[in-house]
Amino acid sequence: MSVLFVHSHYGPIPKAMVGPAGRGRIEIVRDTELTDAKIISAKGIVTTTHLDQIGFAGHKQALADFFADGGRLFFNGHILKPFVDGLQAYRPLQSRKLADLQLARLSPHPVFGDIDPADMAVRKGVAGFYGRGHNPLPKGARALTGIGPLKEPIDWEWALPNGGMMFCHAGNDLWSMAPEGSDGAGAFATRIVDWTWGGLKGVAA
Amino acid sequence: MSILAIHPGAYYHIETLEGARYQGMFDALVRPEELGDVDLAAFDAILVPCRTPADRMTPHKAKLAAFLDAGGTVIATGESESQLWLPGISFSSQDTNFWWWLTPGADLGVRIAKPEHPLFQRLEQRDLTWHLHGWFEAPEGAEVLAVNGAGKPILYIDEVTTGGQMILTTLDPFYHHGSHFMPATTRFLDGFLPWIRETFAATAVESA
Repeated sequence: MSVLFVHSHYGPIPKAMVGPAGRGRIEIVRDTELTDAKIISAKGIVTTTHLDQIGFAGHKQALADFFADGGRLFFNGHILKPFVDGLQAYRPLQSRKLADLQLARLSPHPVFGDIDPADMAVRKGVAGFYGRGHNPLPKGARALTGIGPLKEPIDWEWALPNGGMMFCHAGNDLWSMAPEGSDGAGAFATRIVDWTWGGLKGVAA
Repeated sequence: MSILAIHPGAYYHIETLEGARYQGMFDALVRPEELGDVDLAAFDAILVPCRTPADRMTPHKAKLAAFLDAGGTVIATGESESQLWLPGISFSSQDTNFWWWLTPGADLGVRIAKPEHPLFQRLEQRDLTWHLHGWFEAPEGAEVLAVNGAGKPILYIDEVTTGGQMILTTLDPFYHHGSHFMPATTRFLDGFLPWIRETFAATAVESA
């Protein structure tokens, strides 16, 4: 059993994932080489913002089997090709002024450690890198981080009705959002991989 | 005769290629892995959007070269390592300064090099200005349309390397428009895609 890191872009894997890869905590697989058999046999899957969603959605039945077997998926990006029943397409913010891009913790989660969401909302005084919209909350999912005055769920965790779990971040890869002065992208990535293995307990019912 | 766009399937490709704003700009979409099965004689131009993984294009290098030599046009935007799958491209990458505009009065340095070109009836300098990932050394005889602060090409048309033409830029508008980030990238596509359409497709359409 392994946690697959689906490597979608051309070039090296993200720096934050070099450590987990070196420790054998993730198995790198190009998304073009992802197969139903690899998905079904995996303990967990981590995908990036560059995921080939058309290809990924082509594995819908294998993903359903993966979840039913207790698999965990850590997803980054905008869902535009829903690959599991219950997901809906990404909704961008209609207004993207500074106030619209503020973040609020709606529920604590071990993946975030002690990172304050306010510290991830702004980088060098500029907001918007964390995300600019949300993937709608599936029925029964728990919102973790809200964006804007309406606190729309930009991060959520979902215990799927037939088993398995999904963590969803509707923006750039979450490990790259570690604020300067925090425990850094490497520690963030380690917690994300730990969660995907099942080593960090989820908070969704 | 029409435009074929490569569709690598990331969310920003889906948003830009399939979304209502630009979907009418492309006559057909094809996955990189299916390009080998397509009769390219049916198309005038092939568009390869930003951040198309190069290893998904390199298997088609010979087919693209043959398409160009038969008089076809290939358009490739940035961060797709086009030098690995198109002929005669010399590209240098650079560290990207995403923050240049925070300094009052700062100038990224992008300049329109040939203002009389028809593309610039649709685009202003500010529509090409967000950030830079690199530059080209254009071949002698190429038509350089825009340059960086050092005068190096970031957008040019090459009608000398092959029997057809290549329109190449280091700019990455598909990625940022598709991410709902950086309005200049949307303004760029609002001008660039209708110009492509007007130039290479039989039926011109206006952007939404």
